[in-house]
Amino acid sequence: MAGRFWGGFMTVVLVTLLVAACGGGGDTPAQEATSACPEPNPRLEVTSTEVNLFVWTEYIPQATIDCFEEVYGVTVNKDEYSSNEEMYAKLSAGGANYDLVQPTDYIVALMIRQGLLQELDKSRLPIFKQLDPNYLNLPFDPDNKYTLPYQAGTDAIVVNTDAVETAPQSFADLWNPEYAGRLVMLDDSRAIIGMTLLTLGYDVNTTDPTQLEEAKVKLAELVKGVKLFDSDSPKTALIAGDVDLGITWTGEAVVAQREVPAIEYIYPTEGPILWQDNYAIPAGAPHVDAAYAWLNYSMQGDNFWRMLDEFPYTNPNRAALEYAQANHPELYDAYINSNITNTPAEVLQRGHRIQDVGEATPLYDQVWTEVKGG
Amino acid sequence: MIQSFRENRRLQGFLLILPTLLVMLVMLVIPLTLTVITSFGQRDADGNVIYTFTLENYWRLLGFTETGWDDLYLGILLRSLWLAVQTTVIVILMAYPLAYFIARAPEKRRNFLLFLVLIPLWTNFIIRIYAWVMILRGQGVLNSALGGVAGLLSIPFTPFDFYPSQGAVLVGMVYEFLPFMILPIYTSLEKIEPNLYEAAADLYANAFHTFWRVTAPLSMPGVVAGTILTFVPVIGTFVVSDILGGRQVILVGNLVQRQFLDARNPPFGSAASIILLLMTLTLTLYYTRRFGLGEEIAAG
Amino acid sequence: MSSTKRSPWLTLTALLVYFFLYAPIVVLVLFSFNASRTNVVFEGVVNQGPCGPFYWYCQLFRNRDVMEATRNTLVIALTSTFFATIIGTMAALALQRFDFFGKNAAETSLYFPIVTPEIVMGIGILVLFSAAFGWINAALALPPNQRLTMGLGTVIISHIAFSIPFVTLVVRARLHGFDNRLEEAAMDLGANELMTFRKVTLPLIAPGVLAGAMLAFTLSLDDFIITFFTTGPGATTLPIYVYGLLRRVVTPEVNALSTIWILVVLVVVGISQWFQNRE
Repeated sequence: MAGRFWGGFMTVVLVTLLVAACGGGGDTPAQEATSACPEPNPRLEVTSTEVNLFVWTEYIPQATIDCFEEVYGVTVNKDEYSSNEEMYAKLSAGGANYDLVQPTDYIVALMIRQGLLQELDKSRLPIFKQLDPNYLNLPFDPDNKYTLPYQAGTDAIVVNTDAVETAPQSFADLWNPEYAGRLVMLDDSRAIIGMTLLTLGYDVNTTDPTQLEEAKVKLAELVKGVKLFDSDSPKTALIAGDVDLGITWTGEAVVAQREVPAIEYIYPTEGPILWQDNYAIPAGAPHVDAAYAWLNYSMQGDNFWRMLDEFPYTNPNRAALEYAQANHPELYDAYINSNITNTPAEVLQRGHRIQDVGEATPLYDQVWTEVKGG
Repeated sequence: MIQSFRENRRLQGFLLILPTLLVMLVMLVIPLTLTVITSFGQRDADGNVIYTFTLENYWRLLGFTETGWDDLYLGILLRSLWLAVQTTVIVILMAYPLAYFIARAPEKRRNFLLFLVLIPLWTNFIIRIYAWVMILRGQGVLNSALGGVAGLLSIPFTPFDFYPSQGAVLVGMVYEFLPFMILPIYTSLEKIEPNLYEAAADLYANAFHTFWRVTAPLSMPGVVAGTILTFVPVIGTFVVSDILGGRQVILVGNLVQRQFLDARNPPFGSAASIILLLMTLTLTLYYTRRFGLGEEIAAG
Repeated sequence: MSSTKRSPWLTLTALLVYFFLYAPIVVLVLFSFNASRTNVVFEGVVNQGPCGPFYWYCQLFRNRDVMEATRNTLVIALTSTFFATIIGTMAALALQRFDFFGKNAAETSLYFPIVTPEIVMGIGILVLFSAAFGWINAALALPPNQRLTMGLGTVIISHIAFSIPFVTLVVRARLHGFDNRLEEAAMDLGANELMTFRKVTLPLIAPGVLAGAMLAFTLSLDDFIITFFTTGPGATTLPIYVYGLLRRVVTPEVNALSTIWILVVLVVVGISQWFQNRE
């Protein structure tokens, strides 16, 4: 018995060490970046040897990372999160050393208040002038002291028109019994409670307990018919046919539509929820010079155009759009002509932005827990 | 000096256990104390902890809110308890026969059969849950198989809604903890002297009696150990309910996790944590008082 | 225990349970050859690129994140197993063979991690470490590069913490079977404590120690919840990574990873069986 265990355990140890060693070898990035990497324009001074990114899943083209590493000789460490709350919890726990994060608008104000972000030095950000002013100087970060817009988008209705006879035109339509059991919803308390509040004619950021109570009752009705809550990859369920319609966001809708052209994105009459993801540098970041280099390089027109291809959202970077128009016209056309990525101006007018509700956060959480768990 | 050290067995014993005590102190006692302290606090507008002393978190969990009786959280606690009970019972029912089978197998086969039980454990916890998603989803393996059978028998077939659901969560939990019950039960069964069976066979008329009067009580330590190893993790789970429940099954674990992440309400989450801990402590104490502590927790 | 005649019902039930245990494994392996990238339905065997049907396996090795996560997982498991085994064995010896002040408290404290749900422990540790690190970093005014952060170290320590009780239990069970006589005999014959330990005690408890080590190793490899709360940049483990993957499109790469993992285990078992048969 002892012999058996001994032999087995030693083998485990040996195999482990072997795999560990091989794993180490496996991380030399194979430079199959087929086209040559664009030159950094301008090239910044960088003495750090690595940069720590803390970013959303599926949000940065691998080619850009590979090129940055090649061009600057700086190793890119990437950790990912799939919710702002996760990112906030990690940062406010103070434990981690990240150089860049990608907070969504509503959490930026909170992070600034908590002193988690450092002010941006615009002199180190020549890229700034390429950004579309429509996405700058928004209420959550006046004068863009702390953030740079990354990508913007909306949360709206998504429908597989092949599977659904009458497509919903408003959030309120989703309560229609014919959709029961076929819905996918974001697993996002603010977005879904917010959307319910909109159907009741209330403000999406209300802190009034009676309004929230009403929303809770109404939402509980809807939840019975929800098949799946998913804020990570709702497109999977849509493409697979597990669900036929629901609420999702820009990027997911585009990808779903590419796979299943019958899928459409509909802006509700109440107005969609608007959001914007931004780059920010955490206070106390260890490799600030590398962070600025990354920002300028990855957001260059000849790098950032890749977003149109891989992670299609509304792109606030004019240089990227111009580059795409000149060099990848099919991508550009698809971007401009899609109502998903190119949200019509009048829709933007009636959009609503989510803001942090401070004291009322537990209220929203309670509504959400009750509605889901009850 | 060295001489007296060598003779002082009390000191030696204490030094031997010192590292353990230190680790437990830092990694368990202090964190738990911090959690208790936080549970008596409040949150400010941004979600930071205000260290004060209030019982409102506990009252809220137990149902006594400012706006009257609200059994939302109590319901979650009970649902978690129920899931843990269901899982444990089903796991015992499935594990016992297999453990018995292995214990009665020829000696040289036993290690192999045991390893067969262990191998799934050596894949990855998350991956195993994902495998069940693949099996149970609308177009998954199970529905495809059933559809195929229905096709052969010319019965109309609509895919079942196995996933996501509470049932899927139960299946996932049973699957996860089956090996943790098989091993302890096997160990205590294996220790039973064969002579006992012969003696019992002489005393009792049939196999059932033998089992009930002899085997079962002797294997109790294993069952107890397995129960603890199953019950405690199940009641605190959040991953399985998250993935297999389509984010709609909210158990205590999910509640706690939400409080620390989305709701930014550490005091409330801490209170829920402590209540969860109290639940497992009471149940374990009661269980081991009643049935005795199984050294077979060691069986793994 | 001699094998008396076994009821066919028992065998059938046992087979069914084995089937239940292995069905997901089989599905996992099968789908690692899936042609469909979204991996929902099995759409035939993939045949792409130079690796043909093993396309996803090759993709796996090119995936830097996976390789790093695997490496982290193994490093954490080995390190924490090493320390947990030593500390746990010492504790088992202390509890089983010695008497000392605070013995009861020690015994109870050892059972605590077993009855504490992982989420309670994980959150507690997170709160502790963030507070401690925040305080130390500020007090020593450490520059950003040298600050204490959550990462590999915190994960390893946490794994050691939850493994120790299990190792202790296993070794104690083993010790329980043997009383002091052999050791006393050795000492009577003139050996000192160290020699007795090395030549008598250690070989006796070796199987228990190794069993405890294997248990600690398994627990660490598989741990999700505690790791989830104590991890930091560059310390992603396989379970954490797969959990993150599950939240996007899950390609058959994940299945390929699981299959390789299983194969490694099978190889280990095969080799150890071979060793045993040779004895």
